[in-house]
Amino acid sequence: MSAKVITVTSGKGGVGKTTVTANLAAALAMQGRKVVAMDADIGLRNLDVVMGLENRIVYDLVDVIEGRCRLRQAMIKDKRQPELYLIPAAQTRDKMAVSPSDMVLVCDQLREEMDYIVIDSPAGIERGFRNAIAPADQIIIVTNPEVSAVRDADRIIGLVEAEEKGPAKLLINRLKPSMVARGDMLSIEDVIDILAIDLIGVIPEDESILVASNQGLPVAMTSVNGSSASQAFRNVAQRIEGVDVPFMDLTQKDGFMERLRSWLAGES
Amino acid sequence: MIDSATEQLVRIRGIKDGILVTLGSGPYLDVYDQLVAEVSQKEAFLQGSQVTLDVGSRLLAREQLSELVDLFASHSQVLWTVLAEADETREAAQGLSLATRVAGSQTDLTGRPLSPSQISTTIEQPAQSGDALFLKETLRSGRSVFHEGPVVVMGDVNPGAEIIAAGDVIVWGRLRGLVHAGALGDETAVICALSLIPTQLRIADQIAISPNGSKHKPEPEIVSIRNGQIVAESWQQKN
Repeated sequence: MSAKVITVTSGKGGVGKTTVTANLAAALAMQGRKVVAMDADIGLRNLDVVMGLENRIVYDLVDVIEGRCRLRQAMIKDKRQPELYLIPAAQTRDKMAVSPSDMVLVCDQLREEMDYIVIDSPAGIERGFRNAIAPADQIIIVTNPEVSAVRDADRIIGLVEAEEKGPAKLLINRLKPSMVARGDMLSIEDVIDILAIDLIGVIPEDESILVASNQGLPVAMTSVNGSSASQAFRNVAQRIEGVDVPFMDLTQKDGFMERLRSWLAGES
Repeated sequence: MIDSATEQLVRIRGIKDGILVTLGSGPYLDVYDQLVAEVSQKEAFLQGSQVTLDVGSRLLAREQLSELVDLFASHSQVLWTVLAEADETREAAQGLSLATRVAGSQTDLTGRPLSPSQISTTIEQPAQSGDALFLKETLRSGRSVFHEGPVVVMGDVNPGAEIIAAGDVIVWGRLRGLVHAGALGDETAVICALSLIPTQLRIADQIAISPNGSKHKPEPEIVSIRNGQIVAESWQQKN
């Protein structure tokens, strides 16, 4: 068994890298995979909070790299999913405590026993970003449908291409279909038109994401009939597994009556 | 734009700070005779000009340069700057208190360095001046291309990417970033793109931005300087 290393990055901060990392890791684990989520944002760790594992941290990534503990000791087992682990970042150090080759070494140790390693990259294009993409087999670039986030994503795609990591995949987060319909937000087509890379998922804006993050419960773990964002994350996880899942139709308002009406009209 | 310089023995043209005299290839005596003839013939027109002399890779001794200083002076012109590729020629010119600057270096005609936005950190290829640079890729944000000649891109130029070229710039794709054509002062340089939605365009020392709210159907356009202004027009009309 050799794990696939997936790095989630964006360039711009605040587009939802950590949320995406937590939810992809959770969704992959829910499909029965052995998954490690790794926080590469040394000094500004968040992944532990979003996954609700903050209070269980004893050792972190820098402790592993500097030899203060064994890798296994830094892996925090998730409360809800038996095969989901977190390797947290150090909060009291900075990006220079880790080198790209350290990340490759750590991931190579994990590859033996895991199916997926999902790495949360820090914002920016400096050392932290370099660390996060060094071991990656697949890079997922998160962007929001707004001009500044797309601009940064474009820059990141260029840097990833230069690293010869294979084609990056695009995940559009926080899409508001109603705003797109009014022409107040970039549409999926607008974003892809500029970035010209393959889309792996679209996550609609959803209040339940914020609620879930504050509770330390990735929204993908909430019940199957939950939010559309929850379903969207699970779809992305399926696509990572190679399943051809059609993209959710976000253009319609998802009220039951509306769906019924369009079904009766034979549109669906 | 560069062709005639190699064909003619002497080429004289106006630049921002006076006149630029370019010596072509050929035996020095022929070039010198031609220069004497040209300068005498155009004396009235050139009177009082500040002369920049581009000798290219030609080796000139101090006596020869001194002779040229006298030649221009006798026709009421001041030889101010000698552009030379050869160190020996530059040293000789400096010995005569003439300004020097490597031909085609990243400075403007007064010898001042170009502003940082005009200088790129990536010089794609150390190509001969005048050779086109061909890029078969999309230039993404943060990419900067500098080339002392024409540049052809087969792909898009995204916002945040820039091309600084001494010659023309042709984009076989969508141009959404910044392009500076004729960056060393060539006002005849043009910019072409299949779809033109640039952040900013520059030709020589002119700067233009896209008019706001123009959401017409994308079509191939060509941009040039007309009557001192940067103008974009449909490629169809041009042909």
